[in-house]
Amino acid sequence: MFSFVSKRLSLMMMTKVCCFQRNFSSALPPLVPVKLPSKMETHFWYVLPDEVKSESLLSQYSELLSPREKKNLYHMQGDQFKKSALLARVLVRTTIARYQTNCQVNPRSLKFKKTIYGKPEVDWENGDKWCPPPLHFNISHTSSLVACGVTVNVPIGIDVEEKQRRLKNKILAFAKRYFSPDEVKLLTAISDPEIQRQELIKLWTLKEAYVKAVGRGFSAAPFNTFTIRARVVKMGGFHHFDTQHSEASEIVVESSDDPENLTRNWQFALLDLAGSHYAAICIEKENSAGGEAGVPMRLTVWKTIPFVEDERVSGTGAVVPISGLIKQL
Amino acid sequence: MATFSAITSVIFAPSLKPSLSNNVIAERTSNLKMAIGGWRKNRFPSLKTNRFCVSCSAKPETVQKVCEIVRRQLALPAETELTSESKFSALGADSLDTVEIVMSLEEEFGIGVEEENSQNITTVQEAADLIEKLVEKKAA
Repeated sequence: MFSFVSKRLSLMMMTKVCCFQRNFSSALPPLVPVKLPSKMETHFWYVLPDEVKSESLLSQYSELLSPREKKNLYHMQGDQFKKSALLARVLVRTTIARYQTNCQVNPRSLKFKKTIYGKPEVDWENGDKWCPPPLHFNISHTSSLVACGVTVNVPIGIDVEEKQRRLKNKILAFAKRYFSPDEVKLLTAISDPEIQRQELIKLWTLKEAYVKAVGRGFSAAPFNTFTIRARVVKMGGFHHFDTQHSEASEIVVESSDDPENLTRNWQFALLDLAGSHYAAICIEKENSAGGEAGVPMRLTVWKTIPFVEDERVSGTGAVVPISGLIKQL
Repeated sequence: MATFSAITSVIFAPSLKPSLSNNVIAERTSNLKMAIGGWRKNRFPSLKTNRFCVSCSAKPETVQKVCEIVRRQLALPAETELTSESKFSALGADSLDTVEIVMSLEEEFGIGVEEENSQNITTVQEAADLIEKLVEKKAA
């Protein structure tokens, strides 16, 4: 009983300290807490750098960064790029802090580390067993969009890419160098060069999202050792998809190299985001023993400006599913 | 470096990827430090500085060529300073840019870069060093 009391006290004190720090260290308003996604849900947050115009807000944002993050930012070249890099750190810090509903966490106090394979994760360093949630996150950004995906219990990987992204190399030469033979075949069969380019970029984002979800680095799953493709799934029963058609396309990955991953279920979603970007999301399905076929990814998407506003955009024109079984919430 | 490998393989044998080549050690050093938690800083030799001591003699022409390719790939404005120490990530390169750079370097120098190595090219100097190593190997 006494240990419980002392734990409560130290938790309260910590809460007080967090709030104290936050109120005095900056003029930013308190963060609005957010409920964790349920086990079957994915949360996706994004920021459009062009919508963040206030210099004083940006300057307050940079105060949230760790010394190392500040140093990295300092060495970056290009204002647009620097701004989106700053927003990426701010988005991940504030998003994770907002999910801590038991104790108000100062986003500045979060520490990050990398797994042995280089995947970033939160370093919940303290010995207090306040039991941080089994939260998984992944970020991706371009100079015009910054995104963070969040899940509970299952790994997540995301990638965003500008729809207009052009390669410096020839499309098929690039695909032959990096993609699997089946994927090259698929791309080669596309006669319209613009469609071919779009499909390559979409495929790239899906493959990146997969590798980031697996979390073992580029070299653990070289791009040409796995194939990602869409397969048609007949709708039936009680699943409702975001599609008018009676068929939906499910995205699947087949690995030629790593049988271990064949037995796990990876679920994908590919979206047209904000009219400007392709966004790919890859999560591990929790029930890996064969999992039910045709279960959609339950997805909620917010456009946000940290500390300022959130706008839930799932189900609006800002989020257009391209493929994958998706149920927007 | 040999000592370092011995220590880590003793402690991490079951879980550590076997790909602890020289290229990867310094990258992994900081990851390992964080993963272990209890290690004190001074237990690890500082490897990053002498990681490429065998090959810090990449020809200036090679470095120059790499700079050209990077500048082209990233569409860097003329005023952006580009040196051998320039980090791709600091120049605004994302993963797609990096693999495109690798591909362009392969075509330019007639070499093939393994995925493992391409992941570890983070600066102009590292790219130049790896290129020369591969060119040499190919000539041998």
